[in-house]
Amino acid sequence: MDLSYTEEQQMLRDSVQKFIEDNYDISERNKLTATDEGFSRDNWKQFAELGWLAMPFAEEDGGLGGSPVDTMILMEEFGKGLVVEPFFPTVVLAGSALSQFGSADQKAEVLAGIIDGSIIATFAYAEEGAHHNLDHVATTATKDGDFYTLSGTKSVVLNAASADRMLVSARTSGDVSDEAGITVFLVDAGADGISRDDYPTVDGLRASEVTLKDVKVPASAIVGKEGSGHDVLEAVSNRAILALAAESVGAMEKLYTDTIAYTKQRVQFDHPLSEFQVLKHRMTEMFMEHSLAKSLTMKATMLETQGSDETQRTIHALKYLIGKSSRFVGQNAVQLHGGMGMTEELRIAHYFKRLAIIDSQFGNTDHHLTRFVA
Amino acid sequence: MDIEFSEEDLAFQQEVRSFIEENLPKGMDLWTKRGDWFKALREKGGWDVPKWPPEFGGPGFTPTQRYIFDMEMARHSTPPQLPFGVTMLAPILMAYGSKEQQDRFLPGIRDGSVNWCQGYSEPGAGSDLANLKTKAELTEDGKHYIVNGQKIWTTLAHIAHWIFCLTRTSSAGAKQEGITFLLFPMDSPGVEVRPIITLGGSHTVNEVYLTDVKVPVENRVGEEGKGWTYAKGLLAHERTGLAGIQNSVLALEKAKENAASIKVGDGTLLDVPAFRNKLGALEAELLALEFTELRTLASVAAGGSPGPESSILKLKGTEIQQRIQELNLEAAGVYAAVWGNKAAGPKFAKGAMSAYLGGRATTIYGGASEVQKDVISKNVLGLG
Repeated sequence: MDLSYTEEQQMLRDSVQKFIEDNYDISERNKLTATDEGFSRDNWKQFAELGWLAMPFAEEDGGLGGSPVDTMILMEEFGKGLVVEPFFPTVVLAGSALSQFGSADQKAEVLAGIIDGSIIATFAYAEEGAHHNLDHVATTATKDGDFYTLSGTKSVVLNAASADRMLVSARTSGDVSDEAGITVFLVDAGADGISRDDYPTVDGLRASEVTLKDVKVPASAIVGKEGSGHDVLEAVSNRAILALAAESVGAMEKLYTDTIAYTKQRVQFDHPLSEFQVLKHRMTEMFMEHSLAKSLTMKATMLETQGSDETQRTIHALKYLIGKSSRFVGQNAVQLHGGMGMTEELRIAHYFKRLAIIDSQFGNTDHHLTRFVA
Repeated sequence: MDIEFSEEDLAFQQEVRSFIEENLPKGMDLWTKRGDWFKALREKGGWDVPKWPPEFGGPGFTPTQRYIFDMEMARHSTPPQLPFGVTMLAPILMAYGSKEQQDRFLPGIRDGSVNWCQGYSEPGAGSDLANLKTKAELTEDGKHYIVNGQKIWTTLAHIAHWIFCLTRTSSAGAKQEGITFLLFPMDSPGVEVRPIITLGGSHTVNEVYLTDVKVPVENRVGEEGKGWTYAKGLLAHERTGLAGIQNSVLALEKAKENAASIKVGDGTLLDVPAFRNKLGALEAELLALEFTELRTLASVAAGGSPGPESSILKLKGTEIQQRIQELNLEAAGVYAAVWGNKAAGPKFAKGAMSAYLGGRATTIYGGASEVQKDVISKNVLGLG
């Protein structure tokens, strides 16, 4: 067993850390979230130049042949920096679907564009009435010769306003919640029949309600096979959870270390808050939660890399644990900062909000705990 | 032991309900016709100021009537009054203010024409409130105080006409000594209000900078250096009691409705055991907390003082509020993220996120939960 990073992985971590140190103090980040797109195209260009957008993809697809471990390293640092560029929807969601299920043409055109930074992509999977069930797909895809016609509404589609391409889960057969009969399509985000209602999200990112009305796509737009979209969704969801877990671990590290630093300098009742036993124990518990979350994130990421049979169950456990520990660490970081923890001025509030949203994505704690014990 | 209210108290409860039924504006009128509501309360015989004693125009409720009144008002979601004047400052003026001060300030407090804010917390004085540093120095002619310093977390300072403010007039002796209670208008020269934007982007609290603010000595409440004693009495009034608990009862009902509107498989979120159990646990704890409040009431109504169990009301009450907020957030699912002017998904989603974010403050303000536990362990349990 060897749990240490390779030399390349250490370099990767160092380069992300340096980028964040140079570009991402909280006031810079707040400037980015206030812009129209909510992120920086210049930063995105840098991500491409630094090879981060190519990291997890196979060399034959033009990638750097990295593994989920590399994505974990990136996402953990992004979590510490509260990075707002659309790495998650583009590389993790759309990228892992295309790299695992895409046709040669789709890879050559779209994956290549993701890798060189020219294409921003996203995945439209959520629907009203689904409540975390990815197989609940009411959006329809009707076959008509060599074409399919897509109609339906997708919710909280990350960075849809900036996306060039969009993966869409749609139903080609079966009932609304059937596992079978879902098909994933690769759609041009500007295609006729697509309309959007864009909004900021509470964590400072961007999303949209996306309505498809008779959107016509060729059969070659299918990602994977017709009717086997469940497999695509499950695979993407697993990668998504691993990435979000790593991001959470990064955010939690900042939350507990910022809290320690704050309580050391905040004096009340003639003592620094850090000297009060009840607060010392609380911070110790925050550290414990972070440590456990980090351990399970590493384990699940390595199991996914190996393709182990235990992966699925471990990922359910992971999303549960991340939700639980994030809530504890986030809430207590705010609590121990007192009134200051409630202000938008400190980073604390922004980590807190981000973690609250992560729990709502790809299944919350109850959803995954139920599946873990099933 | 008898768990039921007396005949008289039940009759009173019916009277309150009928009054609400007849006078509470319905629907959107609740916002436009608030004035009518408060007028009706006043004309009923001081029901607009239920906590005020009869000599100041209050209704003179017994403790049980107070409980019933508050409970019915909360259950019917009647419009709240800003607490700073009516609930927090008025009792101080009645107890320690001069006759002139009472005549001058109480009418504006009662009819809501003068908004007040509370100038207590400072950057270095939060949980340790007595550590406050804002200085008030008497001028040589003895006619004015000159106030310099900074207040923080001042709720609604940006719409307040006046502030009641704790200032330091002496640094000799213990921290609690040398604190003086002053009143002054927010448009006095030298008062500057700066907004603090809190979690979720709302503007409720402020920083208040005080630079050479000139306050006439007749605006001092009580004696110089006794302000801490007065403020402590006032903090007791701030203790969240029944209203918070009844609001939680309502909030839990609403949380159930929200969950029932979320489809999960063939049923709703209410059918999901993990979620249902959390709702159930909260309901059980809330039943116990409601009855704890009643135990407190019973001992006060019998002429005694509140029992030791009364000390847990704020602590447990705020914890329960926050847990209900978490459940609404969970029920919102992916739509918890939606922000700004747009709405998507279930109607309650955006409110659920705002409440969750803002609700984190309830275990911080009015004495952080950790400090409350210190106070209880010392004063109630005798733990040093």
